[in-house]
Amino acid sequence: MIATNWQDRGPLTPFAPPRRRFSFGAAARRSWTSGEEAVIFARDFAASHQRPQPMQRESALKNFLLQFFTWWSGQTLGTRFYTWRNGEFVGEDEFGNKYYRTRGGRKDPALGIERRWVIYNGEAEASMTPPGWNGWLHHTVDVPPTQEDYKPREWQKPHRPNYTGTPKAYRPAGSTLASGRRPQATGDYQAWSPGS
Amino acid sequence: MAKLIVDGNEIEVPAEFTILQACEEAGAEVPRFCFHERLSIAGNCRMCLVEVKGSPKPVASCAMSVRDLRPGPNGEPPVVNTRTPLVKKAREGVMEFLLINHPLDCPICDQGGECDLQDQAMAYGVDSSRFAENKRAVEDKYIGPLVRTSMNRCIHCTRCVRFTTEVAGVPDLGAIGRGEDMEITTYLEHAMRSELQGNVIDLCPVGALTSKPYSFKARPWELAKTESIDVMDALGSAIRVDSRGREVMRFLPRVNEFINEEWISDKTRFVWDGLRTQRLDRPYVRENGRLRPASWNEAFATIASKVGATKSERIGAIVGDLAAVEETFALKLLMESLGVASIDCRQDGTRLDPTLGRATYVFNSTIAGIEDADAVLLVGTNPRKEAPVLNARIRKGWRQMRTPIGVIGENVDLTYDYAYLGAGPQTLADLAAGKGAFFEVLSKAERPLIIVGQGALTREDGLAVLATAAKLAKAVGAVGEGWNGFSVLHTAAARVGALDLGFTPKADGLDVAGMLAPGALDVLFLLGADEIDVPEGVFVVYQGTHGDRGAHRADVILPGAAYTEKSGIYVNTEGRPQLANRAVFPPGEAREDWAILRALSDVLGKRLPFDSLAALREQLFAAYPHLAAIGEIAPADPAALEALAGKGGALSEAPFASPIVDFYLTNPVARASAVMAECSALASGALKQAAE
Repeated sequence: MIATNWQDRGPLTPFAPPRRRFSFGAAARRSWTSGEEAVIFARDFAASHQRPQPMQRESALKNFLLQFFTWWSGQTLGTRFYTWRNGEFVGEDEFGNKYYRTRGGRKDPALGIERRWVIYNGEAEASMTPPGWNGWLHHTVDVPPTQEDYKPREWQKPHRPNYTGTPKAYRPAGSTLASGRRPQATGDYQAWSPGS
Repeated sequence: MAKLIVDGNEIEVPAEFTILQACEEAGAEVPRFCFHERLSIAGNCRMCLVEVKGSPKPVASCAMSVRDLRPGPNGEPPVVNTRTPLVKKAREGVMEFLLINHPLDCPICDQGGECDLQDQAMAYGVDSSRFAENKRAVEDKYIGPLVRTSMNRCIHCTRCVRFTTEVAGVPDLGAIGRGEDMEITTYLEHAMRSELQGNVIDLCPVGALTSKPYSFKARPWELAKTESIDVMDALGSAIRVDSRGREVMRFLPRVNEFINEEWISDKTRFVWDGLRTQRLDRPYVRENGRLRPASWNEAFATIASKVGATKSERIGAIVGDLAAVEETFALKLLMESLGVASIDCRQDGTRLDPTLGRATYVFNSTIAGIEDADAVLLVGTNPRKEAPVLNARIRKGWRQMRTPIGVIGENVDLTYDYAYLGAGPQTLADLAAGKGAFFEVLSKAERPLIIVGQGALTREDGLAVLATAAKLAKAVGAVGEGWNGFSVLHTAAARVGALDLGFTPKADGLDVAGMLAPGALDVLFLLGADEIDVPEGVFVVYQGTHGDRGAHRADVILPGAAYTEKSGIYVNTEGRPQLANRAVFPPGEAREDWAILRALSDVLGKRLPFDSLAALREQLFAAYPHLAAIGEIAPADPAALEALAGKGGALSEAPFASPIVDFYLTNPVARASAVMAECSALASGALKQAAE
């Protein structure tokens, strides 16, 4: 998948579901608000992030069909061809996303600078790129994180994608979705106690 | 009747109608600020301008009557137009002038969302200002703890001034200065001294007068509105309960021409903060002299073990002032099944007796009938304290017809002139014997009205006083065809309903005074009865809403629902059953009162024969059919008064005294309210006012 969004997104299918990775598949048919199933789905979700390389042999046909029909499974056939023709591999992040640039840093005629893009490992989800690579993708920096020896501070937390809409989403204290139980309402009346 | 043509529709209206009323009749909406149906006409806002054919200028429709309109040259009916460009332009001009000095603070104004000026500016406002000068600035006035002023917003409609002088009858508000410099003020920055002052908040068409306790608490569009009935006095005023979530945010009046017109007293309006303090939200059981929180089952088990070990003649039950008919009925059935004879609902000791007939304890003339009365006698009552809205009715009759009013009892300021006849029952007896000038007034009157208050009845000789008053009523012809002028004014919302159910001692049962005598009882059940002192040695079960006197004395506390938290029937002093609706839920573990009694009856082994409120009401209506006609008065048979008048009894010398010592602190809800406490302190002179 090419990071700049005006680029070709591959063939559009009439059955394209809403663009959230958890809204299809067996897991999505279960309600994720109920406790036990939420755990099951959370496991499925975690597994989808550690999915084996899409090019593995036993699933080559499946990958081909996915890339042929969908735009959200790593890359489309068009992107794959474009990467094979023009791409130069730059590096890979901790999630397995692969980063490319135009071969030899050749200027893209449409941009005036070199083109940089990412091929996601698994679902195409823009928040999956960690901050270092995000900076490189957006031409904020020219040195990719793999060629830097940046040591994260101990207070820096590992990167997490956007969990909105998933079971891991943030729930404010008091939300029934956080615990499944509404906390005792207080403060709307003052109770009498015999001591006072 | 006069004919006129409004916007092309010919209509016929009474000649004394104003053009504005005629336009309303014809279905044309006329904007107004100063005009109010129940106040005199001021005609100073000019918003109601309409075009009258033949008139060179637009006409203020509120101040011109239909009779003053001239017919056309050939005798055609006069023509009034409310939708012509001339009218729109005139009103836009008025609106622009009004907005010159009106601040643009709608976002921080409590009236926002329910403001007449806001609404009418949507129709007649212009989108920009041509006014480059500074706006007028007016200092805010202190007019008491209930009404907040923001005088920059005042548009000088003078509704508040007219209300206080005409309806409330106190000369506290007035205007000083003229034109742009006019200011509404109490002159000396003292609090308004009226029990109806909260109504100026509703009357104010802008946000100049807003509710002080409610200020900045909520917005009108976020409130859930529930139409209900007030229980602060025995009138049963129609109210609207505005609630947000589980909190009651405010009370507003509803229009009920038969009872409160559109006024409510300050106690009704501002008592809402008492509904969220000192609440009983869980059962309590007394152990080793201390109350401890308990579960419902523990509380019921404690009661069951005590009741099981007590003989039925050593058990009693007292119904308080705020109980609805449903729980009174449930308690009566429960006590009957236990064989208890000592039950009573008259915790103030009034001598009214339902066995004498319904006419002897209700307000027979009806509240609306006060306006028809052509002579009024108040016996042992201070209606200003006991029922301020009813007092405003008496004042209305006095203002409009100069109804002669006589008073036997306390010589206090009732906001109208009256003939003070005497202080005690002796005066009443003389009057009943035909002595005194006021007897002539009463007997000449076609519809004389005799209002007997609880001050005359909560005495040893209460029944004799009641009989003497009935004798007087008979002597002056107050009881006859089409008019029954013998009226009893109650002070407790629950009283008439409980008397209708016959919640009074059975044969050889004890009344309240007997039950409270030391050593008379072993178990006493209080349904919200707080105005009594229970002696030592009695096991007290208190079912109620607030931690008041009853809860402190109790051995078991059962938390019930307040009047905004349950659906219940209340019978007002006229004998009119009315339905109060639930606006919010009871706090914590508190339950609706009939359900508590139903659950308790199960534990006591005397299961009450209903499982739902509907089933309870079905049985209630079967036993007392007149309660099923919600909002209707079942006429009481005046023959009961004949029998009552025949009763004698010794009258004492002691003067009548109103049972209400402090208007603001008459029940547990009001005593829990900080606003009511402040008003009470102010009224008793304990609180320094802002100007001092």
